Amino acid sequence: MELLRDSVISAFLLLMQLDPELLFIIWVSIKVSGLSTLAAAALGIPAGLVLAQAVFPGKRFVLTCLNTLLALPTVVIGLVVYAFISRRGTFGSFGLLYTQEAIIIGQIILIVPLVTSLTIAAVSKLDERYRMSAMTLGADRYQAALVIFQEARFGIVAAVVAAFGRVIAEVGIGMMLGGNAKGFTRTMTTAMALEYDKGEYVLAVALGVVLMSIAFGVNMLFHFFQGRTRTDAL
Amino acid sequence: MLYELIGLEKILGGRKIFDIDRFSIRSGRIYSLTGPNGAGKTTLLKILAFIDRPTAGEIRFFTKSVLQVEGDLLELRRQVVMVDQSPLLFTGTVIDNVEFGLKMRKIPAAERRKRAIEALQQVGMERFDRTEAHRLSGGETKRVALARALAIRPKVLLCDEPTANVDSEHQKIILDILAAINRQDKTSIIFSTHYQSLEQQLAHFCLHLQHGHLSEHQADNVYHAELIERGQRRSSCRLAERVIISVPTRSIPAEPLFNLRIDQDKIRLAAITGDRQTEGSLVEGRVAQIREENGGVAVKLHAGIVLDLTLSPEIYADRSLRVGEIVAVVIPDEAVHCIPNSGDVRPV
Repeated sequence: MELLRDSVISAFLLLMQLDPELLFIIWVSIKVSGLSTLAAAALGIPAGLVLAQAVFPGKRFVLTCLNTLLALPTVVIGLVVYAFISRRGTFGSFGLLYTQEAIIIGQIILIVPLVTSLTIAAVSKLDERYRMSAMTLGADRYQAALVIFQEARFGIVAAVVAAFGRVIAEVGIGMMLGGNAKGFTRTMTTAMALEYDKGEYVLAVALGVVLMSIAFGVNMLFHFFQGRTRTDAL
Repeated sequence: MLYELIGLEKILGGRKIFDIDRFSIRSGRIYSLTGPNGAGKTTLLKILAFIDRPTAGEIRFFTKSVLQVEGDLLELRRQVVMVDQSPLLFTGTVIDNVEFGLKMRKIPAAERRKRAIEALQQVGMERFDRTEAHRLSGGETKRVALARALAIRPKVLLCDEPTANVDSEHQKIILDILAAINRQDKTSIIFSTHYQSLEQQLAHFCLHLQHGHLSEHQADNVYHAELIERGQRRSSCRLAERVIISVPTRSIPAEPLFNLRIDQDKIRLAAITGDRQTEGSLVEGRVAQIREENGGVAVKLHAGIVLDLTLSPEIYADRSLRVGEIVAVVIPDEAVHCIPNSGDVRPV
């Protein structure tokens, strides 16, 4: 108990001092997670809009596969991406292994299914009459999709916020594809794992405090947008 | 011809909703569409609005066969607009909503604003232009949805139960708007409704969808008319080859044969035989039926033609009409509408 108390006090002191190493780790985490979330949003939102509205044979199968991908363990993603970007892999010549780009690729694979599924959920619960109204008023497919996006925007933003929360807290991909290189690919979660292994709790606890603060902020945002969606529906 | 439906079939969830062998709908007219619940009225309207596709069959729109491919449908959809029974307004202000269809058509902003304001004025909602759409009441939402459709100036307006869930004051407003746009803008209107509704009085023709089949019959108080004498100021017309009435010459179409509709709520009982307080025609007939309808008293009069009229409960009580009694009624000029067999409706 004493260890935890001392660690928390030391961690707060570290945060107050704005330790450069700590700040860099936080910056890498936010940058990598932010970019992967943006890329996943760019892929997952249009995919979700299309899948929610399109009618085609095998749609149920596609949705089942998508839901299965939600449960994909980060270490499996790490392994698969590693197989492609390691020196002997198909994309080995790009030299991506143990770079921030490698982490971003892995994280995109992790959260694209999440963004897509939550977008489908947000669009599916939207009243079909929005699409009908847009179409009868002369909207083409693209314009109708924009109307759907606008009406479901709070649910879609909540999907993106949830995806950011998922990647900023993951450790497997960061460790396997980033390599936890100090001053380069070290993220908050990989640094915490390392500090724990070394028995150095102070930095780990400081990072934990920051991570929890970010997670809290993200959840606040998530509930804010979910709340807006519910108010809209009323 | 506005629509021609040939072998039109719709199957939903394995159930055949309708199977229309051959049917034509003329332009410039107001059609009501009745039928029991689940008969497929809304589905038919959606197909006519080109937002749903038939399972089989052909639709011709202004004699041109409709190919059920997206590019063609978009072009057609921009000539027809459907107003839902419970319309949804998009997030934003009332004016944003009314401008929506114009924005889709890439109309310049200034023109868009002008037409949106005009449409809002038509439905009496111009004061609400900056109001957030979700703050409106049900009746107001329906009027704004109608304005949103009118701003586009469609050739065809399809309304699914336009006065459902609307109070009587708003019902009257909506019906007046529909009548006005048909008269002024020559917009063809098809609306679904239930039997003996207020809007039935608006229709020139009634469509009935039941057991998957569509049929048409002349609406109440709509008659085949023949011009028998064209005067300088007033002309004489024979209705249903039986009754002669006098109509202002300016309202008579060019051709001698046409249809003529008489608004049943504007016909009034003559005080005494020979009453000519306002310009119009005097018709005598026998009271065949009296019943309570929509808060008024509906009277069916056999006067050579079957004439339906609606009286207020006060007038009915004052005159104490009886079935079988011979009464005289005045058909004022403003109650008479000439419907050419081709072309547009001409108001008196």
